[in-house]
Amino acid sequence: MIYDEDTAQQIRMCAACPKMCRHVCPTFLAWRSESPTPHGRALLLHQEIIGTRQLDDRAIDVLYQCLECSHCLTWCLPEIDIADIVETRRRQLVEEGRFPSGLNNMVDSIRTHHNPYKEPHEKRTSWLKIPKNDGRSLIYFTGCTAAYRENSIAQDAVSVLSSLGYQVGIPKDEWCCGSPLLRTGFVEDALEQARYNVEILNSMDAEEIVVTCPGCYRVLTQDYPKYGLEINKPVRHIAELLQSHLKSLPEFEIDGPVTFHDSCHLGRHSGVYEQPREVIERVSKGALVEMERNRDNAMCCGNGAGLRTLFPEHAKKIGAERVRQAERTGAKYLVTSCPFCKNMLESQAKDRLIVLDLPELVEMAKKRSHVKTD
Amino acid sequence: MLDSKIKTKIAKQLEGIVGAQYITTQETDTVLNAHDAWPLSEAKIRAGEMLPLADIVVFPGSTEEVSEVLKIANKNKVPVTPVGGGAGTCGGTLPIYGGMQLDLKRMDKVLDIDHKSMLVRVEAGMVGIDLEEEVNRHGYMLGHTPTSMRASNVGGFLATRSGGSMSSLYGKIEDLTLGLEVVLADGSIVRTKAVPRHSVGPDLRELFIGSEGTLGVITEATLRLFPIPEERRFRSMAFVDVHSGLEAIRRIFRVGIVPSVVRFYDPEDTAMAMSQHFDVKEGDSMLLLAFDGAAEKVDHEERVSVEICKENGGKDFGDGPAKRWWAHRYDMYYPTKFTTAGFSIGDTIDIVATYDKLENVYRAMKTAMEAHEAFVMSHFSHMYQNGGSIYMIFFTSQPDAETAWATYRKIWDDGVAACLREGGTMSHQHGVGLSRSTYTEDELGSSFQVLKKIKDVLDPNGIMNPGKLGLGVQQ
Ligand SMILES: Cc1cc2nc3c(=O)[nH]c(=O)nc-3n(C[C@H](O)[C@H](O)[C@H](O)COP(=O)(O)OP(=O)(O)OC[C@H]3O[C@@H](n4cnc5c(N)ncnc54)[C@H](O)[C@@H]3O)c2cc1C
Ligand code: SF4
Ligand code: SF4
Repeated sequence: MIYDEDTAQQIRMCAACPKMCRHVCPTFLAWRSESPTPHGRALLLHQEIIGTRQLDDRAIDVLYQCLECSHCLTWCLPEIDIADIVETRRRQLVEEGRFPSGLNNMVDSIRTHHNPYKEPHEKRTSWLKIPKNDGRSLIYFTGCTAAYRENSIAQDAVSVLSSLGYQVGIPKDEWCCGSPLLRTGFVEDALEQARYNVEILNSMDAEEIVVTCPGCYRVLTQDYPKYGLEINKPVRHIAELLQSHLKSLPEFEIDGPVTFHDSCHLGRHSGVYEQPREVIERVSKGALVEMERNRDNAMCCGNGAGLRTLFPEHAKKIGAERVRQAERTGAKYLVTSCPFCKNMLESQAKDRLIVLDLPELVEMAKKRSHVKTD
Repeated sequence: MLDSKIKTKIAKQLEGIVGAQYITTQETDTVLNAHDAWPLSEAKIRAGEMLPLADIVVFPGSTEEVSEVLKIANKNKVPVTPVGGGAGTCGGTLPIYGGMQLDLKRMDKVLDIDHKSMLVRVEAGMVGIDLEEEVNRHGYMLGHTPTSMRASNVGGFLATRSGGSMSSLYGKIEDLTLGLEVVLADGSIVRTKAVPRHSVGPDLRELFIGSEGTLGVITEATLRLFPIPEERRFRSMAFVDVHSGLEAIRRIFRVGIVPSVVRFYDPEDTAMAMSQHFDVKEGDSMLLLAFDGAAEKVDHEERVSVEICKENGGKDFGDGPAKRWWAHRYDMYYPTKFTTAGFSIGDTIDIVATYDKLENVYRAMKTAMEAHEAFVMSHFSHMYQNGGSIYMIFFTSQPDAETAWATYRKIWDDGVAACLREGGTMSHQHGVGLSRSTYTEDELGSSFQVLKKIKDVLDPNGIMNPGKLGLGVQQ
């Protein structure tokens, strides 16, 4: 059995739960069926563990329909983490060669191009303009989404960091952090990326590493060490870094309320809730309005753990719902602290909300304010 | 189970109605959609038993689609089990004769809020908590607060004739519903007008409330709304015995005060639910009260209720225990290591009786259930001017599955028999489903034949949820 006794007991308990957390599971919302739910997933695994019924292809789909967002955990009194339980089984499914074929493109792309988007590796960060600065040295690990899909996040991050006096270094040859692989069960492939990144990052001379992607953040700070890969510098998410410079951040008169979307990797999985909020409050002069579901009760954007790759229409349904929740606040801006979330939310917001990532908001403030930053 | 050729044929026809992505014949889906929250099903799942499965699960998106689906089922005499939120406690959604499960979860929209009349028209598949949150955004509440809010949906609330913990003040689901839309077994769509009341013959709306899917599929409802009260105040009182607490409750109602919450825990339940957090004397019984409304009204109701409680020996515990219960009211439904260990099984027999019989029913049931080495604890939970309900909660742990299921059944048999013998009614709010199906005829007595005749007329082929509510048991 791949689960230890305690986890097997948790799965057994969840398999008999009267669905106490189902109402927040985004995949229940997207499918409106009992199958892709926390309880449903546990029930399939429990039946497999005690030998009642093996997983068939449909059951494997149900496991791969999980966003691994851990929203169910927030509502689970016995603290059963379905995301972790699902990921454990996914690892085994990959070993057994029984993962959904829809993942092949993503895996092949990371193997070949070191990004999930089939983009040429050499174009990863070559376009980034890095201003000269002789302040404290810092490495910016861009991550694939900011590098290939959300360029302005990367560019604005560099610009904001430089304004704060940092000498920003970009790894010459950064690879995918491995997050999409780890979350879908491809550990060996992920570790290949990871080992390379650790070697590159450890060989660079800098005081710390900053990331804009919470997926990278979680992997670099939690998964790498779990697999014995230690990075020899502190790693911070840009929200944490910006918050530590709060007084130096620009302020501006923003033309409407701002709401904040917590990404699952930064929020529930890393416990970073207040820092991005403090940054928004500072730069927007107190324009933050909260969604009903926020912090550890925030709904996932729908992009996580392979869902958009495998079930794009359902992923978008979840993104659209999160946008509706944001609209309900009356906000004009929807700010997040994750390029991946931003990408999804912007695609669903169309022109109803202006969707920005945190560095973009700060850069906007910088351009529109007259406050000098040090 | 359906013959595979027929199954394929029907599945194809259903696909034509709802679209291929909204029908499934995959075993995994039938396994996951089969059960509700019947404790016996949950215990069997833990023990590794397979539950009865449907051949097909279909997810219609509109009343018209429900109608077309039923026409096909009726023509082919295929059993249909409606599925709401799948959190009923009586096995109502178990497709014991296979066939089709008709799941309403896609019908999840608020259709209209009538601010002037304070009504909401909503599709049957909307989950309770989603509806409550939506009406809260407009300054209203439903007044329906069953602890299954997070999982059950509007259709399920209606089909089981449910009652929330604030039913004393706001009413049970039948009091909260003005109009209904139902699809009958032959596919015809029936609407009852949403009016405060009428005198145009019997109220046919009531026929479908509590029908548990045996007479038709509820697709839409018009429900009452209440402004969110200015204040909700809690108060708690401990009594030396069950009798004096019940007397206090009876008198509170008698002077015309209607608290929103009246929950009275017997000594065992008080020990289980309260003594960890509050300094309650062993053997005492705790009464939890809440009062809703404008401050002046609440002041008055609280003051008079406290006086009555004190006259009956009540010891004041302030707002603590009642407030804590409200904040933690969902907690007791989560699985724990203790309640899910080995072949443990528990359940609740939620009976109702008038005040003249209530205490006798309680004592008789407790004795009958405890005779099977069950741990029994109870609270009087939904109280009214003329009587109220008791949650007779039991728990037993046995060495093997066979003994556990048999003991469970004996506790039920003897508990219900004691209830009926003493003049109680076997369910206040959970319904009948499968767990009480065989007792229905005894419970309803002469009126059972009326129900049966109605069933025969509305569903001559017996396709609607056969085996539940004592109806349509197939050979
Ligand atoms: C944790 C928990 C707490 C609970 N607390 C309460 C409580 O406080 N008060 C209370 O009254 N009950 C309570 N219940 C019991 C139960 O949840 C309710 O009775 C609820 O109304 C069932 O609704 P559902 O949507 O889950 O129904 P389901 O379980 O899906 O179905 C119940 C029955 O109704 C039929 N049905 C469902 N939808 C329709 C429809 N649209 N048309 C026709 N038939 C239909 C089904 O076939 C089945 O027979 C609780 C249950 C749980 C698990
Ligand atoms: S995760 Fe927790 S709350 Fe959710 S179904 Fe499982 S046991 Fe219940
Ligand atoms: S981790 Fe997210 S998607 Fe997965 S079961 Fe929990 S709430 Fe649902």
